[in-house]
Amino acid sequence: MFNKKILIVLIVAAMLMTVSCAPMGGDELVLADAGWDSIQIHNGIASFIIENGYGYETRVLSGSTAMTFTSLREGSIDIYMETWQGNLKDSYDEGIESGDILELSVNYDDSRQGYYVPTFVIEGDPERGIEPMAPDLRRVDQLHDYWELFEDPEDPGRGRIVGSPPGWEVDLIMKGKVEGYGLEEHYNYFSPGSDTALATALVGAYEKGEPIVAYHWEPSWVMGMYDFTFLEEDGFDQGKWADGYTCITPAMPVTVVVNAELPEKAPDVVAFLENYQTSTALTNYALSYMHEHDAGTDEAALWFLREYEELWSEWVPEEIAGKVREALAQ
Amino acid sequence: MFPEQITLELGKYVNDFIYWLNNNYGMVFDVICNGVRWLLLNIEWMLLLMPWWFLIALVFILGWRLKSLLSGVVFAVMLFIIGAFGLWEPTMSTLAIVLTAVFFSLLIGIPLGIYMSSRDSVALVLKPILDAMQTLPSFVYLIPAVILFNMGKVPGVFATMIYALPPIIRLTNLGLRRVSQEMVEAAQSFGSSSWQLLFRIKLPQALPTIMTGVNQTTMMALAMVVIAAMIGAGGIGHVVVTSINRIDIAGGTESGLAVVFLAIIIDRLTQGLGDRFNANLS
Repeated sequence: MFNKKILIVLIVAAMLMTVSCAPMGGDELVLADAGWDSIQIHNGIASFIIENGYGYETRVLSGSTAMTFTSLREGSIDIYMETWQGNLKDSYDEGIESGDILELSVNYDDSRQGYYVPTFVIEGDPERGIEPMAPDLRRVDQLHDYWELFEDPEDPGRGRIVGSPPGWEVDLIMKGKVEGYGLEEHYNYFSPGSDTALATALVGAYEKGEPIVAYHWEPSWVMGMYDFTFLEEDGFDQGKWADGYTCITPAMPVTVVVNAELPEKAPDVVAFLENYQTSTALTNYALSYMHEHDAGTDEAALWFLREYEELWSEWVPEEIAGKVREALAQ
Repeated sequence: MFPEQITLELGKYVNDFIYWLNNNYGMVFDVICNGVRWLLLNIEWMLLLMPWWFLIALVFILGWRLKSLLSGVVFAVMLFIIGAFGLWEPTMSTLAIVLTAVFFSLLIGIPLGIYMSSRDSVALVLKPILDAMQTLPSFVYLIPAVILFNMGKVPGVFATMIYALPPIIRLTNLGLRRVSQEMVEAAQSFGSSSWQLLFRIKLPQALPTIMTGVNQTTMMALAMVVIAAMIGAGGIGHVVVTSINRIDIAGGTESGLAVVFLAIIIDRLTQGLGDRFNANLS
């Protein structure tokens, strides 16, 4: 009787061990999904090549930017296809310095960020019966004259400039610009609290035909789907940048980063990811394909692979490219 | 697998409905917004007008009178630590949002609870709605809320209310239903009207339960501090969100603890208030 009990306990324990150890299996690579469309498309492209070309299993782990990035450093995530390093600068630099993570390549470095207004604010929208509200507005420093248009509903008598989600490095820059241009005289710098709320506010204002001036970036689905105008600034100049960021925000490189143990685990995949490079325009095409065809990110990734075969063929050895092509043809 | 032919696209209609509301009744929402904003900004203004030592002293005295001398000291120290973390101003801003949300929750919740206790059919309809309010993932209703009410403190108050309303409704209902039937019959036999019955007999009898509801509503409101900050309500939740986004453990700990301290202080004080009512009753 007693022995039987021990046996059962042992069996259960053994089962639990195999269960808890199963995901640690060596041949599975985990990609980070921080929840936005473009990272999911790049995940789709990379996983397709990794699975069909190199024969590894892949899995996607979803979570917030902060959580997925922490997992990358700690090792439960292997690959991060789109790291907006400026959004988690301290943690990123720390990770690189301590050797927890490796930056393999720059996925694209022509991203753009700054202040946007709906294009109907400038040009009007005859179809919806919207008159131009600020026909001469082109540049950020002109916002001085328009604070009444962008009035803060919670602080009448002042304008509201919607800034970056809190905690992103660019938050300091965008706030700095408001002061640098002397806009704080008429405007409140309003923190939207999260990127979801920021996108919702932009879409909401657009749908309502109401004016809004807000921080955003490209590529992003909001900019892909709605017609917004980027408010211009002077060309980049170190002196102006130091003096209240009063020039264009330099493009932030969006990088492919992996956990430091990946080169040991899958050296061939590391070699592939080192070559991985797209651009804002290409990413935007994939994003607009998604929205136009009501497709998922996986379909957009397949579309991308079919459309830009020349591009990705250069990332991998010929033999691997052949295997991927074969899988694509199916 | 579930057959693919059977599909229900409920979400699409909700989406269309939200935009329709927005396009046709935008003004109504503006009026609601202005009322809430007025109260909120005044509460915040008053809280920030109070010198810090005055508020700490006030909390000490309340803690001492309502609970015990030791409690008073502990609460005062907690509030002092919040200030020492450099979080005084965001904490006051959060307190203003919580107080406004609790005020409107009680204003709506208690009458609704009374109505719910009077008719079983109302209870039948309300209960699943209350369940939804407490379990629906917040961003699901926050996105329409941002479209209708824009971002900021006011939608923050609404988000908080959605979560904080159910306890006061439920507990008001429960308290009233628990009033002993004999007592009600006795009052009726003495010829009391239904209003007298409610205000002289039922409500006083149900008061301890309702006070628990007030306490729970306040705690739920505090639990929404971070979520509300995610739609621009600011306050201490904003500090928490910033720390989370930066993977800043130090900042997260301090701002998180500030929320906990605030919760403990408010919980014990409202509980003490409830006990007072009970003591008076018996």
